[in-house]
Amino acid sequence: MAKKHIALLAVVVIIAAGTAAGMAGLGGSDTNPSVGSVSFAYPDRIIGGIQTGNGSPVLGDALAPVTIVEFGDYQCHFCKKWHHETLPLIKNEYIDSGRVNLVFVDYAFLGNDSPKAAHASYCADDQGMYWSYHDELYNSQHDRIDGGWASDGNLHAFARDIGLDMDEFVECMSSSKYRDRVASNTQIGTDMGVEATPTFFIIGHDGDPVMIPGAQPYGTFVRVINSAS
Amino acid sequence: MAVAIFSTMSVALMIMSEFLFLEPYVVGHIPKDTEIGFVLIVLIAALSGIVIPANVFRVHALRRSRQKMGGGIAGSVIGLTAGACSCGPVGFAVISTFGVVGATATAFLTLYELPLRIAAVCILAVTYVTTSRSLRTECRV
Repeated sequence: MAKKHIALLAVVVIIAAGTAAGMAGLGGSDTNPSVGSVSFAYPDRIIGGIQTGNGSPVLGDALAPVTIVEFGDYQCHFCKKWHHETLPLIKNEYIDSGRVNLVFVDYAFLGNDSPKAAHASYCADDQGMYWSYHDELYNSQHDRIDGGWASDGNLHAFARDIGLDMDEFVECMSSSKYRDRVASNTQIGTDMGVEATPTFFIIGHDGDPVMIPGAQPYGTFVRVINSAS
Repeated sequence: MAVAIFSTMSVALMIMSEFLFLEPYVVGHIPKDTEIGFVLIVLIAALSGIVIPANVFRVHALRRSRQKMGGGIAGSVIGLTAGACSCGPVGFAVISTFGVVGATATAFLTLYELPLRIAAVCILAVTYVTTSRSLRTECRV
């Protein structure tokens, strides 16, 4: 009986220590991230010290005084929730009026289909349809991670649904040319101390990023945006 | 002890399930369609706050078996881990540490969040009933 308890205790200690070590290793520096020799789609786009040069195109006015940088994963349920519940309110009130813009940076860590979905979004970007594809991915998300909703076949179907040129899209997907771009974005998130998805950084006129971890309610964004404006 | 367990579990569960945020402001938020999850969290924390101290009393003061303690702890652990979303900090740490196994485990916990929480409430409720019965018997003068 005592041996059984000791074994159980050892398993609990190992799991707890492993998880604690994982959490301790998550806190990154807030200096410029280390992304090696990856080339950037938008080389000069460093916002509030965050290298967003490999993120999405800007949603909204590129010259808006406040930028929201979102680190997200297409298989993350809270990201989907934020995309459907909070983003429309921010878009309506702040983005469409030119007061705020948004950049999405992939933090593709939840499963094997996450980097594939992120890769597909950049293939859509080649045809100027990044945000339509981004919306299509969150509209199509299922509960089960790696459950097949973001399989290669479905990623092609989403492209067809939004009217992309399929020959170009298929060629882009087979080339895996954006694999490093997605990986570098995830590394940037880690370096910025991202510990959950979605995580947001709001950068205003002073250039200091304010972190908002999690799919927080609209009111939190209003407070931070207003104080950053 | 009951108040400490209830408060700690409530706060931990609300943070893990994104009902409570501490940064950049302390904000509570119950999104629509998540009310049942919130009620289950409060129930789990309240039942854990009753069942665990009652069993600690049985074991320490009355020198009784630890069998019922197991039910209380099992229910609390299931309640705590259910809904530990892979997207959240705990799930993220588990995935970073245990890789694919961690991702599978957290995905399971997220997918079956409500059934797991209901199971936790049932385990804790049964443990509460059996514990209170045995305390009535054992404490009779």
